[in-house]
Amino acid sequence: MTYERSAAEDLLYREAWCLDNKCWEDWLALYTEDAVYWAPAMDGDEGWTDDPDKDVSLMYMDKAGLEARIFRIEGHDSYATDPLPHTAHLVTNVLVHGEQDGLTRVTATWMVRTYARVRGGSVRGGLYEYGLRETADGLRIATKKIFIHDDRIVGPIDVYNV
Amino acid sequence: MTSAQELVDDREGENIFRVHRSAFTDPAIFDQEMAEIFGRTWLYLCHESQIAKHGDYVATQIGTQPVFVIRGSDDDIRCFYDVCSHRGSRLTGRTSGSAKTLTCRYHGWCFNAEGACTLVRGGDEAYRPEDLDRMDTNLRPIEKFGSYKGFLFGCLDADAPPLDEFLGGAMPFIDLMTDQAPDGMEILRGESRYMMEANWKLQTENSTDGYHVATVHRNFATTVGYRETLAPEGDSGMAKTEASRILSLEKINSGGYDVGNGHMINWADRGNPEAGPSWPQREALLQRYPAGKVKWMLERGRTVTVFPNLLLNDVASSCIRVWRPISAELTEIETWCIAPKNEAPEARRARIRKYEDFFFPASLAVPDDVRAMEGAQIGSEALEDGWNDLALGHKTLVDGADDAAKELGVTPLNSNPGREVETPFFAFWREWVARLTP
Repeated sequence: MTYERSAAEDLLYREAWCLDNKCWEDWLALYTEDAVYWAPAMDGDEGWTDDPDKDVSLMYMDKAGLEARIFRIEGHDSYATDPLPHTAHLVTNVLVHGEQDGLTRVTATWMVRTYARVRGGSVRGGLYEYGLRETADGLRIATKKIFIHDDRIVGPIDVYNV
Repeated sequence: MTSAQELVDDREGENIFRVHRSAFTDPAIFDQEMAEIFGRTWLYLCHESQIAKHGDYVATQIGTQPVFVIRGSDDDIRCFYDVCSHRGSRLTGRTSGSAKTLTCRYHGWCFNAEGACTLVRGGDEAYRPEDLDRMDTNLRPIEKFGSYKGFLFGCLDADAPPLDEFLGGAMPFIDLMTDQAPDGMEILRGESRYMMEANWKLQTENSTDGYHVATVHRNFATTVGYRETLAPEGDSGMAKTEASRILSLEKINSGGYDVGNGHMINWADRGNPEAGPSWPQREALLQRYPAGKVKWMLERGRTVTVFPNLLLNDVASSCIRVWRPISAELTEIETWCIAPKNEAPEARRARIRKYEDFFFPASLAVPDDVRAMEGAQIGSEALEDGWNDLALGHKTLVDGADDAAKELGVTPLNSNPGREVETPFFAFWREWVARLTP
């Protein structure tokens, strides 16, 4: 079934809220157990890599990988993520494209403003492609693909700031 | 002005080796480095697999100079200043691309992939033939250009020694990577460029620094270890990491070498070599190379830091890293995953996942390195009389080869057992002083 845009928007906004408010367990719960989280790398000036088994991605993770990212943050032992910057996700232009391979395809545009005292503010942006699936717990994220438009990246890229 | 010599307190007989922190902050030193090091030494440009076909090019920089590397119709690879011979516009519009004819976007002059000017638009009407002869409309090749095992280097000093002579003692260690690949090596698709708000030499040191691994990358090891407990079946075989070794309290057979010309080696026995992507090639490699060399290829992780700004890393995965100075406090870093051509899909997949785990600005390790180096930059600004003491390991330093080097049949200038040593840095800093001293 294909969802109304409002249902998809609720889920995407909730994900942004969880990340910006550092509610990590709630954030992880938005993903299905078989979730795939993928930020392809750039290939040339206009393209992105498209085969995670043959090309390098910026991030390509299953749910265990996402949980490990939270473990890393909460351990307070990573120089890059302690102290953790403030983030503000702006998620907009949400569109539902119908169903494919049992998932509801949703796209959106994002900008994240990150602020850390040590390096000040920065803004990055790009596009999201989601595959959403209805579960017993409600609508959940089965796939998320993040196109990060920024090159010559300043500061770390991690799940909390894209 | 303070001289480079005054900034490196190198007293061999007294076991003292210190670097004054203004070496990382002084803009006058930076200008000297751009002229005397980046303007005159061999620098890595790209790998030949990135320009496989006629017209394929990669645009980059040598120090402050824009250059591009392009494959010609004769299959030769050349490197030119990336500047139109007419009025100086940069010719390439992309970081990489393919063009059998390069057309200047400004006034439309054309050049072929061998650098010859093929069209001066409106030239027949506007110039006499002798005008065009005088102007020399062809593209200017860079002064020196060479390849070692597919790694392409350029140099703007016509009097520099040949590339092989410059690479010198680093070559056997580069071979340890390339000789794993009977069909040659290739750069994988997927680029990464990131900025570090710190001096470029902090990255040179960090690349060969075994001492920071147990502190900065402790978090990498615990995080990956935790992830393996979540998916034990998924992280078996080649997917299994070697991260736990970082936390190991056991003494790991390891060491550091000064191999001359400013090049540095740091190595450590691998915790789990059979999980390495090239391990299935072991029998074939033993047919071709001495057992000591194969042991070095497959059972020892290596960082090869080539003066001044190249790292070839062959550990759990394989990485090329280049860092380009922008200013004394800002550096652009670029990395690529390099792998043997025709690698089995399982090995390739494992190599890529381990590369993403460690080597990208979105990884579980590089962001922590960058933050550590940026912290060092801030601290380097602090004191008038701040010195970095690099004598760690001085006590165990030996001239010439240690047992491991003898297994490979090489003789470094000096060897040091243990990865937690800073003595390989002497190679870099002595070369740095020599090049900045008139």
